[in-house]
Amino acid sequence: MALPGIASFLVTIGTLACIWGLLALGLNVHYGYTGLLNFGHVAFFAAGAYASAVLTMPPPEQVSQANYVIGLDLPMPLGFPVSLAVAALAGGLLALLIGSTSVRLGSHYLAIATFALAGIFEDVLVNETWLTNGTFGMNSVPKPMRETLGAGGWQVAYLAFSALCLLGVYLLLDRLIDAPFGRLLRGVRESEDAARMLGKDTNLVKLKSFAIGGAIAGFAGGLYAHFLGSVVTEQFVAGVTFVVWAAILLGGVASSSGAIVGAFLLIAFQQSTRFILTIYGWIQSVLPEPLSGVLPAIFAPLPDHPSFVPSVRFIVIGCLFVLVIRYRPEGLFGDPNEVTVMGEEE
Amino acid sequence: MASALSQFLQAVAFGLVEASVISVGAVGLTLSYGVTRFINFAYGEFLAYGAFLAFFLSGAGAGVVGLPVAAVVAVLLVGALGVAVSRVFFRPISDRGALPLLITSIGVAFILRYLLIAGASAEARQLPVPLMRPVEVAGVGLTPLELGVVAVSVVTMLAIHLLLQRTMLGKTMRATSGNRSLAEVAGIDTDAVIRKTWFISAAAGGLAGILYGVLFAPFRPTFGFGYLIVVFAATLLGGIGRPYGAMLGAVLIGLMISLGSTYLSASYDQAYAFIALVGVLLLRPEGIRGGEF
Repeated sequence: MALPGIASFLVTIGTLACIWGLLALGLNVHYGYTGLLNFGHVAFFAAGAYASAVLTMPPPEQVSQANYVIGLDLPMPLGFPVSLAVAALAGGLLALLIGSTSVRLGSHYLAIATFALAGIFEDVLVNETWLTNGTFGMNSVPKPMRETLGAGGWQVAYLAFSALCLLGVYLLLDRLIDAPFGRLLRGVRESEDAARMLGKDTNLVKLKSFAIGGAIAGFAGGLYAHFLGSVVTEQFVAGVTFVVWAAILLGGVASSSGAIVGAFLLIAFQQSTRFILTIYGWIQSVLPEPLSGVLPAIFAPLPDHPSFVPSVRFIVIGCLFVLVIRYRPEGLFGDPNEVTVMGEEE
Repeated sequence: MASALSQFLQAVAFGLVEASVISVGAVGLTLSYGVTRFINFAYGEFLAYGAFLAFFLSGAGAGVVGLPVAAVVAVLLVGALGVAVSRVFFRPISDRGALPLLITSIGVAFILRYLLIAGASAEARQLPVPLMRPVEVAGVGLTPLELGVVAVSVVTMLAIHLLLQRTMLGKTMRATSGNRSLAEVAGIDTDAVIRKTWFISAAAGGLAGILYGVLFAPFRPTFGFGYLIVVFAATLLGGIGRPYGAMLGAVLIGLMISLGSTYLSASYDQAYAFIALVGVLLLRPEGIRGGEF
């Protein structure tokens, strides 16, 4: 039983929004609570997705166009939680690795270092075909219990599972941030010197924050891999990092619920703009005769090439960065007091 | 033995050619950091706009003028774009510290890049330069085009050196970079200095983009953002805010990319720059060349 078009579309958006919500929660641990400028978030996401793919893909002999060597073919559905756990572990370990080299850098240098390291990681994914199947991608990642539930039922079930995961991570973080450790994170954000004076190893605190956020992103990667059933390098470009950034800036830094709302708004915006041309065609078809020349006359001067609509989407995201920072640095749901302590000089 | 030596020399030569492109961009970026004190992630877009404006103004696009004229016009236009961008996006929040400026620059990068793609499509383009045979000297071959790129870059570096050391603008730029409030007290119109610095910095970015377009055709509108890390690497290697350091950093990064892709693996060319960058950040975040300007 398959879902009708619109319902299927909404379920897909919902699932993607949950996954991006997880990414935003992870980045919010870095930037929102600890003040770490992480511009390489996509690398942790990718690490999780590829870890899941390598664990659960069938061995290369059974797949066409396979150039990879390792496919552990973990049985579904029992292997699914294992795969997600390993994905989180992979994201966390990569974050530890990247963090241990660069977390002690000043904030701006950290931004560049994470950006560069994510760039290297992307290069590795593209080039190390034996592990990642290169740009062709790993396209037989199993969708757990797909056969038992049928296409439509599976989509709904996966949405429910993703939403549960998001809720679980949200609650966990909520506890963590209220715990002494959460206060320590914010202490480091607000004044490293003060935290150090109290005898806290601030680099270690930052490293832990980095690993926690990275593990959440890795977990999101595993969820994403089993949702799409394929993992391709093209999905893990630097743009992903900045969409997540836009989400937490819009929702409100240092606010977990804000980060989730931001992610939902951005995914809804991104996905719904795919239908602008369809909607345009529909309006055009129902307009009465004398008006049918109006729309084409308005839009005719716009360039006509396939990249036009997608690029407008990114222009809007760019404007979001600029406008939120200028007019509402605390975002929709953030606390203005949290922002003034983040290196903003009033 | 002789061939191993000439392979090495050839790699060094290619490295120096790429270093010419990087140095123009790195010096531009570092000049603007000197007076604005934030890392501008939108700088790569100046490279892309330079190359694309030159493309559209010259034979391959509108066909109005030859490439050299188109390049000069494009460089000036990108300089003006830099001033406009700083005016619209950065100046209104310039008193809020470096973090909001840095995040804003990400947004600006997105806006500029995707405006370019919306207008010009994501297609790869090529500047109208002739195919040339390399001129061989002692087993090392470079095309006249590549030599031209090196020459343009050397002239630019000299011009920037003279600007900084011999002109009033250069002196006020150095003063503003060193201590802005002190410069203001001394009667320097720092707003004007910052505006002019934005022009020079963006124009240098545009020129670097054109040189990139001459060397690495075909190029896409996204190349500026991709190349940004290489420019960052050279800038930081030389110590950010230090033009002469940036030139030295560019040479090292260019050599690293070229030698790395010759002797290690060509599929990781830019990764060598990244690794060098991360290494510098970790070992010596103030750059290899300490001291003032």
